[in-house]
Amino acid sequence: MTGVSVDPASIDRDELERHIREIGGELAAAFPSSARHPMRALDARAMDFASSDQQLKAALFRFVDVTPACRSLDDLARHLRDLLEEVPEAPPPIAAAMRIAHTRAGRTALGAAAAAGVKHMAHRFIVAESPAEALAGLRALWDRGVASSVDLLGEATVTEPEADHYANRCDEALEQIATASPRWASRPTLEADSSGPIPRANVSVKISALTPLLRADAPERGRRDAAGRLRPLLRHARELGAHVHIDMESLDSREAVLELVLELLIEPEFLEGPSAGLVLQAYLRDSPDQAARILEWARTSPRSSPLQVRLVKGAYWDHELVQARQHGWPTPVFEVKAECDRNFEELTVRLLQSRPAVRVAIASHNLRSVANAIAASRMLGGEDRDLELQVLRGLGDELQDALASLGMRVRTYCPVGDLVAGMAYLVRRLLENTSNESFLSEQARGTPLEVLLAAP
Amino acid sequence: MAELPPFANEPVLELRRAAVRAQLSDALARLDQQLPLSVPVMIGGDSRSGEELLSTDPGDPDRVIARCPRASESDVAEAVATARRARGDWGMRPAKERAAALLAAAQWLRERRLELAALEVRECAKPWREADSDVCEAIDFLEYYARGAIELDRGAALLQVPGERNELDYFPRGVAAVISPWNFPLAIACGMTAGALATGNTVVLKPAEQSPGCALPLVQALRAGGVPADALALLPGEGDAGAALVRHPDVATIVFTGSLPVGLEIVRAAAEPADGQREIKRVVAELGGKNCVIVDADADLDEAVPGIVSSAFAYAGQKCSAAARVLVHEAIADQLIERVAGAVRVLVVGHAQELETEVPPVIESSAQERVARYAELAASQGRIAVRVEPVPDRGWFCPPTVATDLPPDSPVLAEEIFGPLLAIDRVRDVEHACDVVDGLRFALTGGLFARDPATVRYVRRRTPVGNLYVNRGITGAMVGRQPFGGNRLSGTGSKAGGPDYLRQFVEPRAVSENTMRHGLVV
Ligand SMILES: Cc1cc2nc3c(=O)[nH]c(=O)nc-3n(C[C@H](O)[C@H](O)[C@H](O)COP(=O)(O)OP(=O)(O)OC[C@H]3O[C@@H](n4cnc5c(N)ncnc54)[C@H](O)[C@@H]3O)c2cc1C
Repeated sequence: MTGVSVDPASIDRDELERHIREIGGELAAAFPSSARHPMRALDARAMDFASSDQQLKAALFRFVDVTPACRSLDDLARHLRDLLEEVPEAPPPIAAAMRIAHTRAGRTALGAAAAAGVKHMAHRFIVAESPAEALAGLRALWDRGVASSVDLLGEATVTEPEADHYANRCDEALEQIATASPRWASRPTLEADSSGPIPRANVSVKISALTPLLRADAPERGRRDAAGRLRPLLRHARELGAHVHIDMESLDSREAVLELVLELLIEPEFLEGPSAGLVLQAYLRDSPDQAARILEWARTSPRSSPLQVRLVKGAYWDHELVQARQHGWPTPVFEVKAECDRNFEELTVRLLQSRPAVRVAIASHNLRSVANAIAASRMLGGEDRDLELQVLRGLGDELQDALASLGMRVRTYCPVGDLVAGMAYLVRRLLENTSNESFLSEQARGTPLEVLLAAP
Repeated sequence: MAELPPFANEPVLELRRAAVRAQLSDALARLDQQLPLSVPVMIGGDSRSGEELLSTDPGDPDRVIARCPRASESDVAEAVATARRARGDWGMRPAKERAAALLAAAQWLRERRLELAALEVRECAKPWREADSDVCEAIDFLEYYARGAIELDRGAALLQVPGERNELDYFPRGVAAVISPWNFPLAIACGMTAGALATGNTVVLKPAEQSPGCALPLVQALRAGGVPADALALLPGEGDAGAALVRHPDVATIVFTGSLPVGLEIVRAAAEPADGQREIKRVVAELGGKNCVIVDADADLDEAVPGIVSSAFAYAGQKCSAAARVLVHEAIADQLIERVAGAVRVLVVGHAQELETEVPPVIESSAQERVARYAELAASQGRIAVRVEPVPDRGWFCPPTVATDLPPDSPVLAEEIFGPLLAIDRVRDVEHACDVVDGLRFALTGGLFARDPATVRYVRRRTPVGNLYVNRGITGAMVGRQPFGGNRLSGTGSKAGGPDYLRQFVEPRAVSENTMRHGLVV
C-alpha cells in the first residue's frame, strides 16, 4: 500500500492548475463538435423555455412527473392544460397549446404530442425497459470503449413483496449481464487496474429499494432487513464475478447504508469477493469524516479486492436543504456551490492518495472536477488505469466519449426500467440539468472554457 | 425588553444522527429514578399531595408514573376564587411583562427537553419522536403567543375624524378553565394555558386524569418563569372536577380539547347561567374528527402510501388529526389497498421507548376495548385487508388494522375510533369523495393526494375541514405554519397556533374621547 499520506498541500497548486487547464482543454477538444451544447440532450426547445421561466419550468416538471399516472391522452392533455394555467404569463406557443386543450379532439392530439415528448426525454436518460433489452446498448458502449453500471429503476419500496421484487430484478440483471458480457471483445483499459481484474458486469443497487423498513430514526431494523436481501445478491455476484455498487441516497438513510455495506463486506463469506463499492457525497459538510471512516475501514479490511469508492457531489441537494430548513436543523450540505466543488477536489486527492486500499471512481460531468482528478492522479504518480471516471447516461454522453478517446477508463451509469418506475429519476435529472448552478447549464450557456476550468 | 426576534419553530431532535439518539436512554433512566412523581393540587402558594389517582405506563400498566389527589369541589371553588383575585394583578401587567414570563417558561422547558420527552414516553406511551415534537410544540406555543399578545396589546386601528380620538383595546376576560387531553399532554395543555395567560387571564388547569405527570412541569415552568402562583392553579382530578369548573359562575372562558360528547356537555352547561354569574361563558373547544384522505387517480402512490400509513398509525392513531378513512378513486383502489396493506404489515408494534416502534399501545384498557369493538364490527361488516398480529400481551396494544368494503352506513365510517384502525373506501371520483366528506359531522383535518391543480382547487372549495393537507401526511400541524382546529362538530373553529387564537381570550373595549375644548382641537 502506497498510503504514505501525502498532504494535499504537497501537490504544487500552480502546477496542478496548469495540468487541469491542459487536460480540460484536451477533453473539451475531444467533445464531438455538435455537442458543444449538451442541453440538446433534453428536448432543447422545451428546456430553453423552461429554464428561462421558473414557473413554467415548475409546471413542465410537474407534468413530466404526473405523465405515467395519466389514464388516457385526454387525461394527459387535461393535466398539461391545468398545470400550464398556473403559469401567469405563458409564452405564445404554450397559450396555443392551452387553447387546443379545450376541445376533446384537441386534447387527444396534444396528449399524444406531450406523451411522445416525455417518452423521448425519458429515452435520453433511461437505456431500456429491462436488463435484457439493455444488453445491446451495454455492448455498444463497451465497443466504443465505455464500461457500464446498470441501475434498476423502481417505484418506492413500501412493502416486503416490493423489496423482494427489486432484489429479484437485481439478481436477474446480474445474471443476464454476467452471461452476456464474456462475449464482448477484450478491452484492457476497462478490465484491469494495478490491483487486478475489474468485472465487466456491474450493477448499482439502492438499499432503500431492498427494504421497506428504512427509518432515519431507527436505522438498525432497515439495515437488518436489507442485509437479508443484499447477502444473496453479493453471493450471486461473487459466483458470477460481477461488481455490486451500493448507491448513496438521502442523508436520512446514510447511516443505515454505510454501516450495512461496511459490515456485510467483511463477513467471512465475502472476503474473497465480490468486487464491491460504495459512494461518498461531497456536498455533505461532514463528508471528510465519512471519508476518514471509509478509508480507515479499507486500510484494515481483510478483503482481497479493494473497495471502490465512487465520489459524487450528491443528487439530493434541494431535498436536504428543504428538509433541514423545515425542521430547523443545521444544513447538512454546502450551500455555496464553490465550497462543494472545492471539497470534491480535496476528497478526490485524499481518495487518490489512499490507493490501492481503495479503487477510486470520480463521478461528475463537470470538466473542472474531472480534469482535477486526472491531473492530481498523475501528479501523485498514479497510472491512468488506477482512476475511473463515471458519468450518467444522457447527461455525460459527450464527456464519456471524450474520456474514452483519451484512453481513460470511463463507466456510464445506465438506468433501466419503465417510465412509471423511472419518473422520480427522470425528474431529478431534469431538475439537475436546468439548475442554474449546474456545470452543464453553464457550459450550455456558452461560458468560456477558461472560466469553466477555473479553480472553484 | 428588547425587540423579540421573529418567531421560529423549536427544532425537533435530529434523531437520524446516532449521537442524538444516544442521549435518549440516559434521559429515560434519569426519569425512571424519579418515578413515581407526586402531582399535588396547587392553588396559590398551597399544595396538597395525595394518592387517590394514579397514572400508569400504557405499555406496562404496573408501572406507576404519577400519583395525585383527586381535586374536589371545594378545591375547584378555592382555585377559582384565588384566580379571580389574581386577575387584578396579572391582568393589569403590561403585555410585555406577561410575554416575558411565557418566554422564560419556554426556556425552562427547553432546558429539560429530553426529560420531558421521556416523561411522555412513559406516561402516555408517546414514541420518542412524537414525544419530542410535543415538547417542541409546547415551547412554540409559549413563544408564539408571547409575541401575539404583545401585538394584540397594540389594539386595532379605527377611523379617526377631527375632534375625537377613537381607540379599541383588548382586555382579559377573567378566569379561564383549561381542561386538557392526554394525547398531546404537554403541548395542548400548554397552548391553551399560555393563550389565556398571555392575554392576561388567570387559569385553573385541569389536566386529563391519564396524564397529570406531564401537566406538573408545565405549571412549574410557568411559575418559574414569573406567572404568579395565584394566577395559575393545577387541579389533577377527574371529570367531576372539570364539570364543577365549567359550572362555576366566576369562570368566564372554558378552553377544552377532548371528545365530542364531553364537549357538547360543556357547551350545554356553559349556556346555563349560574347564580351570581357575570359573564356569558365562552367555550373554546377542539373536539373529535373523522379525517378522510382523498386519493385521486393521478396521485403519486409512492408518496400517498407512506403519508396515509403514518397519518393513520403513528401514535396508534390517537391524534385528533389522524387519518381514519381513505377515499380512493376506483381506478387505483386495488393497487392502493394492496400497497397500504403491505406497508401496514411491516409496522412495528411495540413499546414507546424503543426507537423502532411505530405503533405504541393505546392509552388505557377502555380504549383498547373500544378499538377492539370497532375492529370486530369492521370484520363483520366488511373485509379486513390486514391486521398486524400478534401484538404484545402486556400493555394496551391494539393490532393495526385496515378495513375495506364497509357498508356506507357503518359506524366504523362515521364515528371517531381514536385507534389504529383505518377504513378504505372506493369512490367514483373526487366529486364523490367530497360528497362523502360533506356528509360527515366532523370537519377537522383532511388530506388530498392529487397532481392536477384544478383538482386541488376544487377540493379546497368544497371541503369543510379546518386543516386540509395536500400531497403530504395530515398530522403534525406546526405552530405559526398550520394553525390548527376544526369546523362543524369538530370544534368552535379556534385555530391554535394561528393569528386569531388569542382573540378568544379577550374582550374588546372601545373608547371615544372628545378632543374639542371651546371650539379648539386639543
Ligand atoms: C456515475 C454516477 C453515479 C452517481 N451516483 C450517485 C449516488 O449514488 N448518490 C448521489 O447522491 N448522487 C449520485 N450521482 C449524482 C451526482 O451526485 C451529481 O448530482 C451529478 O453528477 C451532478 O454533479 P456534477 O459534478 O456532474 O455537476 P456540477 O454541476 O459540478 O455539480 C452539481 C452538483 O453540485 C451540488 N450543488 C448544486 N448547487 C449547490 C450549492 N448551491 N451549494 C453546494 N452544492 C451545490 C449538487 O450536488 C449538484 O448535484 C451520480 C453521478 C454519476 C455521474
